[in-house]
Order: sequence, then structure tokens, then C-alpha cells
Amino acid sequence: MDFAFSDTQAAIRELAGRICEEGVEATGLARYDEFRDLRFDAGLWQTLCDAGLPGVAVPEVLGGSGQGLVELCLLLEAVGHSLAPVPALAHTVTGLLPLQRYATPALQAAILPAACRGERLLTGAFWQAADAPPTTLQAELQDGEIRLSGSYPALPWAAQADHLLLPVRLQGELAVVLLDRDSPGLTLTPLQLTHFEPQAALALEGVALPLERVVCREEAHALWDWVRLRLRAGLCVQQLGAAERVLRMSAGYTSERHQFGVPVATFQAVGHRLADAFIDVECLRLTSWQAISRLAAGENAELETRMAAVVAADTGHRLSYAAQHVHGGTGIDRDYPLWRYCQWLRYQEMVLGGAGQQLEIIGRGLARGEGLFT
Amino acid sequence: MDIRFNAAQRALRDELRGYFAGLMTPALRAECERDMGEGGGPLWREALRRMGEDGWIGLGWPESLGGRGLSPLEQFIFVEEVMRAGYPFPFLTTESVGPMLAEHGNPWLQETLVPRILRGELVIAIGYSEPEAGTDLAALRTRAERDGDGWVINGQKMWTSLAHFSDYIWLAARTDADAGRKHKGISLFLVPTSDPGFSCRPVHTLGGVRTNATFYDNVRVSDAHRVGELNGGWKLITGQLNRERLSLINFGPVSELFNAVHHWAAETDAASGGRVIEQAWVQQHLARCRTLIECMKLMVYKQSWAMSTGQLGMAEASAIKVFGSEAFIEIFRLLGEVVGPAALQRAGSPGANAVGGRLERLYRTASIITFGGGANEIQRDIIAAAGLWMPRSGR
Repeated sequence: MDFAFSDTQAAIRELAGRICEEGVEATGLARYDEFRDLRFDAGLWQTLCDAGLPGVAVPEVLGGSGQGLVELCLLLEAVGHSLAPVPALAHTVTGLLPLQRYATPALQAAILPAACRGERLLTGAFWQAADAPPTTLQAELQDGEIRLSGSYPALPWAAQADHLLLPVRLQGELAVVLLDRDSPGLTLTPLQLTHFEPQAALALEGVALPLERVVCREEAHALWDWVRLRLRAGLCVQQLGAAERVLRMSAGYTSERHQFGVPVATFQAVGHRLADAFIDVECLRLTSWQAISRLAAGENAELETRMAAVVAADTGHRLSYAAQHVHGGTGIDRDYPLWRYCQWLRYQEMVLGGAGQQLEIIGRGLARGEGLFT
Repeated sequence: MDIRFNAAQRALRDELRGYFAGLMTPALRAECERDMGEGGGPLWREALRRMGEDGWIGLGWPESLGGRGLSPLEQFIFVEEVMRAGYPFPFLTTESVGPMLAEHGNPWLQETLVPRILRGELVIAIGYSEPEAGTDLAALRTRAERDGDGWVINGQKMWTSLAHFSDYIWLAARTDADAGRKHKGISLFLVPTSDPGFSCRPVHTLGGVRTNATFYDNVRVSDAHRVGELNGGWKLITGQLNRERLSLINFGPVSELFNAVHHWAAETDAASGGRVIEQAWVQQHLARCRTLIECMKLMVYKQSWAMSTGQLGMAEASAIKVFGSEAFIEIFRLLGEVVGPAALQRAGSPGANAVGGRLERLYRTASIITFGGGANEIQRDIIAAAGLWMPRSGR
């Protein structure tokens, strides 16, 4: 058991943190508020790709750095901490990872090296809070190719990605296909989400897809579960990065802000609320990295990712309101950075499925005799 | 970064579980229940010595001190398992005072008392609080005065748990009444309870646990019984409390309790039909408890790991104490709801069930550690200052 990052991991963490913070500092985040600019810093994304970070977990022969999930999650933590306007989670966890694990060698060779270099952007439809594969995307075999139809409510980065990884019902059975974004018959309707991340609703009408773009059929359910575990862990560690930043921001602000002639941090009611936030963030850190450790070692982490999700949801909600409260009006002033973090904490809480749903699933597992202490 | 037990740690845990299954005889278990989960009886003493002889108590101690040289994490696995087995392990002696003696004691203390702790021959109680000094510990008035080569101690301590069967009291006393700041003039002593000037009176608490008021009437000790620097006791107190806070939150018993309640709920019919565990709210409660205990476990493991690199952080130790003590209360409440009316029946009441009886008692004992070991308000102050670098007001 080792709670420290290795030297390599520490170097990756430092590198990812530095690039993200400097990138955000260079352009600021205000330009993306209220959807004025598309929330995508292509220059920053390219810098991250040039540093080998999105492809850090991809094998070297496929254009990556040959590290693993722990190293990738260090990038996601840095993105959460900085709110860097880049598609890291969608591109890696719902794109690179499932392709490198499940796609044919030909498809991998065609997509992964370019995706690691930042020349292609990936996303995948694995975001259902309801935690079951979508049933709204249909695929039929027709004249030696596939025809796709149906809809998907909200897919991050769909309008910017080059390729979309879609779980579909192929002849009634779950399959996963890789669709080019510019395919005729695919309509994307941009959405306006609370945290300004680019997302779009998908509508497909008789979209043609060659058979070699079927990523998997027999293993489709395995792929779904495999991605969902990693997406849950990735969202938790991104939540951790944001939460850590909000916690420190709140401690810093209350230490500087004076009322009654003293820093407001010296009032126990303020200090104690942030002490509770400190504990919440520590719990989120430990449950997240435990889940990531297990996944990185190839172990199951069904229970561990769900417990981390419960903590991520509770922590996000409680921390957001504690931080706004101890900041007073400054916390909601749009010239101060806190409010954007609060929107991200909320988004990540909700897209994880919420604490209630995760507890229900953990509880059902316990009723089946799964998850007892050994 | 790898938050998993390695194979050796898993094997150690399994070995310990087998060991304690053999050690906890029905007679020992009955004696411990009679003594309200505190120990002190003859079978309890015998079992403690046997653990010492078998080399378990010093598992994570350096070999130079008579230990087995494994890390604090292995030591914690041992404590977790001994507590899980239901043995009232004197962890304040072995896990908090013992290491402080090993680090700060004079050669006599290190050579005579530390090995006896590791052999399971010694129990030490903590003498800090006084009638007028609780959370403001530095206001203590018990005084030690020079008398030739030794010291004469006079005063009274409160909440001296285990004192009625302890061999020594780890006692904080004022040695400089004129020190500029009140926490400057305090020294630490090991006071033998065999001294004729020592006496002890029981205090009975809500949870059935006995604690004590202890009295020191011209107790005489040699200077060799003094620990650390003269008037430098505050550092030893905070160091000991840091370790105590970690030791107080042992999730071995609560994880075993969770499993027992789960087993009960899976076997017992609900009034509304089906098994208790088939009800959605029961599953929610169990899932919530499972998650709370997991967080507790991870926090404690991290600190045990940090101790092996000499980085037991003050904020983290306080965070464990606050989180754990408040989580215990919530867990006992939720598990009590699952078990229902049976969690109101005393163990031994006609028709009482084992898990209900345990919960009835635990719910009564749960408040102790939100204020014991340093009130949670003080812990939150420590977290804000040491963990978040927030300025604090003077007190």
C-alpha cells in the first residue's frame, strides 16, 4: 500500500498542472462565459498533446507514452483543478481507452496515433446517469453496411470531435460503433449546459457506416462496463481537482478578508465549516485514488468507484455552498473565479448519477451479498 | 500510488484473524463483556501477555526495541484485527504512550518499561484532565515539586480511564508555576499506581463504561520517572494525543458490526413481508454506512502509512478523529434503525438478540470520543490552522 506518487507520476502531475494553469492564465476563462466563445482552447489542447499527456496511457506502439490509468488521472485532476477548457475526459476515457482495449488492430492503427498527436478528437456516448447503455440508438444491417438511426440527449464535445464512439442496438443487441462526425444524416444540436462545456444532442437518420467501424459486438457489454468504471473514476478525480482548488481558495480568501478588525478565518464558525470541507475533500481524494489504483491493477472496482461517486457528489454539493457562503458576495461575483468552479462541481455531481442513485446500487449489491468487509 | 494491500499484508491479516479466533475463548469473551469491553480481568491479562510472548504487540516496532521491525501499517493491521476480534486492547498504552516513551524516555524507561509494554505486562492510563482543566488542558493544576533527588506530586485528575487496573499513570503536572505561558511549565511523569499516595474512585458513565477520578497525595517518584525535558511536557502531550486520535478510530469492530447487521437483515423476516434487507430504505442505510466505514478505513490506512515515513500530520490526525467519531454516531443510528426495536433491548433481556444488544450499548457509548481525546471543536481548529493555514484567534 503506497499513498505517494512515484517520481514519474510526480513529474507527470507537475507537468500537467503547469501546462493547464499556465494555459488558463494566458487566455482566462471569462471569454467562455455565457457561451460567448466555444469553450475549447485548441492551442492549450495541442500543447497537452505535444507533451504526450492525453495519450499517456496509450501503448507506445500506438503513439502514446505507455503509462497507465493512474498517470492519465493525474491529467484529469489537473484539468479539474484549473478548469482548463479542453476535452480531456471525453477524448481519453470515452475514446482512447476503449479503442486501445477493444478495437481491431487496423482501427487502432488508423485512429490512435493521430488522436494522441491531437490531430483527431474523440468522444463517446457513455454518460448516462441512469447507468445503463442507451436504448435510443438503433443500427440495422443493410446491403453490407450499417444504417444508424435514433437520438442521444447530450454528448460532450460531439460537435467538435472527429469520431464518436456510440453504443447502439445492432439487430437488437448491444454493439459499439465508431462514427465520423461529418457523416451525412447526423444532426448535432448544440446545447447550453450549466458549466458551459460544449455538448450537443445527436439525431441520426439512416446514417451509413461501413462494417469495419463496428468496434465490438460480443464484448459490447464488457466494453460498456469497462468504460463506465473508468469514467466514474475519471469524473471523481476531476471533481477532486476542482474541490481541492475551491477549498484552498476559500481558506485563502477568509484569511485575507477582514471584518470587525480581524480576518474572518479567525471566527470558529468559519474555520470549522472549512475544516469539514477539508475532511470531505480528503475522503474524496482517498476513495478516488483507491478506485483508480484498483482499476489500474486490473481489479474490479464496481463498489469502490460507486463509493467514490457518493463522496464526490456529497463533497461537490457541500463544498460549493460552503465556499460561496464564506466568500460572501465575492463568491458569486463573476469577476472572482469561484462561481465557475461551483458550476463544474454541480455538473460532475449530477453526471456521476447523484449520491442517491449510487447508494441504491451499492445497497442492491449488498442485498445480493456483495461488498461486505473481508 | 497503489491503495491496495500487498500479498504479505493480506496474509498477515488472515494469519491474525486465525490467531484471534483461537485466542478469544468463550470464557475470555464472557469476562470482557462483564468488564464492559474494557478488560482488566485475569483472563484478559493472560491473553495480553500471550500476545506479547507471540511477538504481536511489537509487530511494527524497531527490532532494537524488542519489536519485529515491520512498518506502522502492519502494526495497524494487528490492532485492527485484535479489536475486530472483540478483545479490549489497551491501545493507548501500546500505540500512543509506548511510542512516546521509546522516543523521549530516558535510558531507564526505555530499557525497563518499553520491553514490558511489548511483552504485554504493563498497562498505562492517561492523566491529563482535571476538574477545572478539560479542553483547556494547559490550565491543569496538579503540581510536582522537587524533593531531594525526586519529586512530590499533589493534585487530582478526572476521566482517568483504566486507572483501576493500570500499572502507571502517564501524568501531566505543573513543574514551573511561574512560567510565562501556562503550557510552558508542564512536565510528564510515569506515576506507579502502587504508590501509597495514589488513590482512585470510580465514575460510572452512560454507556456503562467505568472511568475514574484519581488522587495524588504526596506521591513520591524518582527523577527517572520523569519523561522528556523538564517543563517541556506540552510537546509530549500533543505528540501522544496525535497518536491517540489515530488509535481511537479503529474500524475493525465497526466493520465487523456492519457485517453482523447485514447478516441479521438478510436472515430476518420483515413485518411487511420478505427479508429485512429487501427493503429499499434498509439498502440505502447499509450503503451509506458501508461508504462511511470505507472513508474511515482509508483515512486511517493513509496515516498509518504516513507514520512509516515519519509524517503523521496534525491536520490529518485531527481529521480522522472528527470524521470517525461523528461517523460512528451516524453508523450506530442507521444500523440501529435497520435492526429496529431489538436495538432498544439490553443484551441479556428476554428475547434480546446479539446484534441488537450490541447496538443498544454502542449508541449509549458513542458520544465519548467526540469530546474525549480533545474536543472536536479543538480538532477543527487544528485542521483549519495546520491543514488550511488559516489564522486563528487567540484564546
